[in-house]
Amino acid sequence: MKILVTVKRVEDYESKIKVKPDNSWIVTEGVNYRANPFDEIAVEEALRLRDANMPSEVVVASIGSGAAQAEIRSALAMGADRGILVKHDGFVDSDGVARLLAKLGEKEKPDLVLMGKQAVDVDDNVTGQLLAEYLSWGQVTFASKKESLESPEEKAKKPGIQLAADKKSAQVVREVDGGVETLEVQLPAVVTVDLRLNVPRYASLPNIMKAKKKPIEELTPQALGVDVAPKVKVVRVESPPARKAGIKVPDVASLVKKLHEEAKVI
Amino acid sequence: MPFDPNASFGKSLFFGEILEDQIFPYPEMPRDQTELVAPIVETIDRYMSSIDRRKLDREGEMPAELIQSLREMGLFGVIVPEEHGGLGLSNSGYARVMQQVSSWDGSIAVTLGAHSSIGFKGLLLFGTREQQKRYLPKLATGEMIAAFCLTEPGSGSDAFSIKTSARREGDFYLLNGQKLWITNGGIADFYTVFAKTTPDTPGQKGKITAFIVTRDLGGITHGPHEDKMGIRASNTTAVFFDNVRVPAANVLGEEGKGFKVAMSILNHGRTGLGAGAVGGQRRLLQLAVQHAGERKQFGRPIASFGKIKEKLGRMATNLYVSESLCYLVSATIDRGGVDYSIEGAATKIFNSEALWTAADEALQIAGGMGYMREQPYEQAVRDSRINRIFEGTNEILRLYVGFTGLQKPGEYLQGLGKELANSLADPIKGFGLLREYAVRKAKQTVPYGRTQITKAHESMREQVAYVEDAVQGLASLCETVLRRHGREIAEMQFATTRIADVAIDLLALCTAIARTTRLIDRRGLEKCSTELNMTFAFYSDARHRIRANLRAGTGRNNDEEIKSVADAVIAAGKYENDVLK
Repeated sequence: MKILVTVKRVEDYESKIKVKPDNSWIVTEGVNYRANPFDEIAVEEALRLRDANMPSEVVVASIGSGAAQAEIRSALAMGADRGILVKHDGFVDSDGVARLLAKLGEKEKPDLVLMGKQAVDVDDNVTGQLLAEYLSWGQVTFASKKESLESPEEKAKKPGIQLAADKKSAQVVREVDGGVETLEVQLPAVVTVDLRLNVPRYASLPNIMKAKKKPIEELTPQALGVDVAPKVKVVRVESPPARKAGIKVPDVASLVKKLHEEAKVI
Repeated sequence: MPFDPNASFGKSLFFGEILEDQIFPYPEMPRDQTELVAPIVETIDRYMSSIDRRKLDREGEMPAELIQSLREMGLFGVIVPEEHGGLGLSNSGYARVMQQVSSWDGSIAVTLGAHSSIGFKGLLLFGTREQQKRYLPKLATGEMIAAFCLTEPGSGSDAFSIKTSARREGDFYLLNGQKLWITNGGIADFYTVFAKTTPDTPGQKGKITAFIVTRDLGGITHGPHEDKMGIRASNTTAVFFDNVRVPAANVLGEEGKGFKVAMSILNHGRTGLGAGAVGGQRRLLQLAVQHAGERKQFGRPIASFGKIKEKLGRMATNLYVSESLCYLVSATIDRGGVDYSIEGAATKIFNSEALWTAADEALQIAGGMGYMREQPYEQAVRDSRINRIFEGTNEILRLYVGFTGLQKPGEYLQGLGKELANSLADPIKGFGLLREYAVRKAKQTVPYGRTQITKAHESMREQVAYVEDAVQGLASLCETVLRRHGREIAEMQFATTRIADVAIDLLALCTAIARTTRLIDRRGLEKCSTELNMTFAFYSDARHRIRANLRAGTGRNNDEEIKSVADAVIAAGKYENDVLK
C-alpha cells in the first residue's frame, strides 16, 4: 500500500516568539524551526503501517519554501521512502494547502493520507477535513488508540490504525469527550492524528545519512494548476497579555476565603 | 599566503612570529557538514532528553539497555569512514556531536569519547587496510566497543615507565600486565594496548609498541567498576592481561614506535574533549541564566545585579573562546594540518579550566540551592572535574606546550651557540654576542620575519597591536629563559609553565580575534557587538595575565620562595605552625 504523510515546517515551540512591532506577524529572525509534532506522529504511524504491511511505500509531502526540505529530510531520516516539496514562498491558507494536497492525492493515488490533526503554529485544524472533501474520500479525525503510550503494544511499535485483511478499509480509534470511539473507514481515506496515537521515533544517525540520498521531488502550485492566493487574511497578531503577579496567602483559610469571595471559583 | 598544513601557528609564536594565514580567515564548518550535523544534533537532543541522567549518576552504572540504545542511534560510528559502515564525519562534525552529547551527560559523552576519540583512533590513524577492514565495521555499529589502555598503577603522566610487556614468540606476542582506570574497560571488546616489547635496561628505557587486543583472544579480565567522584556511570575498570597471545598482525603502527602512536592518538583525540567542555559550558550558562532571571532578591531578579552579570558575562566570554579554539583545531585537522599538538593541548587546558570555572560559578549563582543535591550543579562540578586530569593532566600539558614551544628557539640558539664557541653552555660569556647576533640574524631570517596581523577587522586594532607586542615579549622571554637555564630548562617547571601560559593566552586571543573577524565579515559589524565585547573582555583579562607572566619571567618572581616553602613542608611532612604552640 501507499501512504502519503504531510509534514509542515513550524516554529519550534521552545523558541521565544515575539510579535512584530506592526502586529502583522511574528518576528521570524532567530526562531528555530522543526517539523510539526502532530505530523511526526503521523509519520511514525505511516512507518508502522508500512512495516506491518510490506510491500508498502511512505511518501512525505510538504508545502513551503526551500527550507522545508529540512523537515522532509527529517521524515526521511525517520524512515519514509521519498519526499515531495511543493515550493511556494508566501503564505498559503489551509484551503490552499488542502487543494494542493488534493492534487498530490490525484497524482500519487495513495491508499491512505495521514496528517497531524493541526499544525502547532496556527492551530487551524481544518486541512485534513477539507482535503477529504476535495478528494471525496472518507475521513477520520483525531486518531488515537486505546492502549497507553507505556503499553507493550506501543513498546513493540504496533500501529494503532488497524487495516482490514483485504486492505479495503481501516479501523481507527478516535478520541471523543470522556472516551474513545472506534470507526471503520473505507480506503482511500484521510486520517488526522492526535497526540496519544504513538511516540514518534528519533532518527538514528545512520538513517540521517541514508536520508541524504533519498529523492525529493520538487513541484510548484503552478505546475499542479492550483491558485494559492489566500482567501483568509491575517489581520493582526498579538501576544497574550502578560501574566499578573500572584499573591501569597498566610494560610489555607484565607486561601479558601479569597477563592470564594474574590476569585468566585468555589 | 594559503594555509600551510605543515606549519603551526602556536609554535611560531615562541619565535616571535605570527603565521596569520594559519588562522585567518577563521575556518568555518563547510556547508555540507553543517547540513549533515544539524539534524544529527537535533536527534541527539531528542534521544538524550529521554535519558534519566540523575539516575545514571546516583546508581553509577551504565545499563546494558542504554549501551544498546547508543548502538541503535549509531553513536559509536560517528568517525568511522562511510566505506566501513560509519558516518564518516569530519573532525569538526565529530566535535560538534560530542559537544551536544556532553551538554546532556558527561558519563555518556566519556563512554562515546573513549571509544571514538582514543579507543580506536589508533586503528584509524595507523591501522593497515586489513586491520581497518576487519575491525572498523564492528566498531561503527558498536558491536565492538573500544578502550585505550596506557595508564598503569605505576605509570600515569610518565608513559615511558609502563611495565606491561609483550614478548615475541614466533607469530605471536605474549602480553602480560595490568592497566588502570580504563574507560570502557569492563564493556570493551577492542583494546588499544601499549606494552614494552624490549625490556628496560639500566640507563635505557625499553621500547613501547601499540597493539590491537580483542577480548576474544582470551586471557583478558577486568576489575570492578570504579567508584568515581563524577562521570559515575561511565565504565572505569582495571584491565588485566594474562599471557594473552596477540597475533603479530595486530601490531598497530611499527614495532617500537608505540609512544608516537600514543601521543598521536591523544593529540588527535583532544578535540573531542575540548568540544565536550564547550557543550558542558553551554548547558551551565543556560542553567545559570535561567536561574538568575527567575530568582528574586531585594525585589529584583538577581540577574540585574552587577556581581551576577560579571559571572554570566565571563562564562559566556570563556565559552566563546573555548568554542573558537576547539573548532579551530578540529578544522586544522580537517584541512590536513599535521602540526597541531600545541593548539590541541592549549584547547584541552583552556576548555577544561573554563568548564570547571563555569560549573563552580553556576553553582555559586544558585547559592545555597546550588549546594543541594536535588539541583544539577553539584553533579556538574563533580562531572567536570575529571577534564583537568585525564588525557594528559593540565600540568603535564602546560609543560608539553612550554617545552615543545621552546624547542625551536632552543635549537636556533644552540646553532648560534656553536658558531659562537658554545655560548649557550657559558651564557654569561656569550651574553652580549648572542644578543647582538640574534638581533642581526632575526632581521636577515625571512621565515621568522612575519610579525604582524594584517587580516583582523579594524575594530580590533588595539588588540592586534597588543598581540604583536606580546608575541615579541614571549619570544624574548623564551630567549631569556633558555639563556638563563640552558640545559637545566628541563627542571625549570615554573619558568616553562609561565611561558606556556603566555602562549596559551596569546593563542586564545588570536583565535578569538580571527573568529570575530570572520563573523563581522559575514554578518556585518552591527550584528557582532556581543562577539566584539567578548573579544575585548577576554583581551583585557588575558593582557593582565600575560603582562604579569612576562614580568615574572624576565624579572623578579617568587619561584624560589615557593619552592623553599614546599621543600620545608615536604621535609617536615606537615605544616608545623599552630597557635597553641
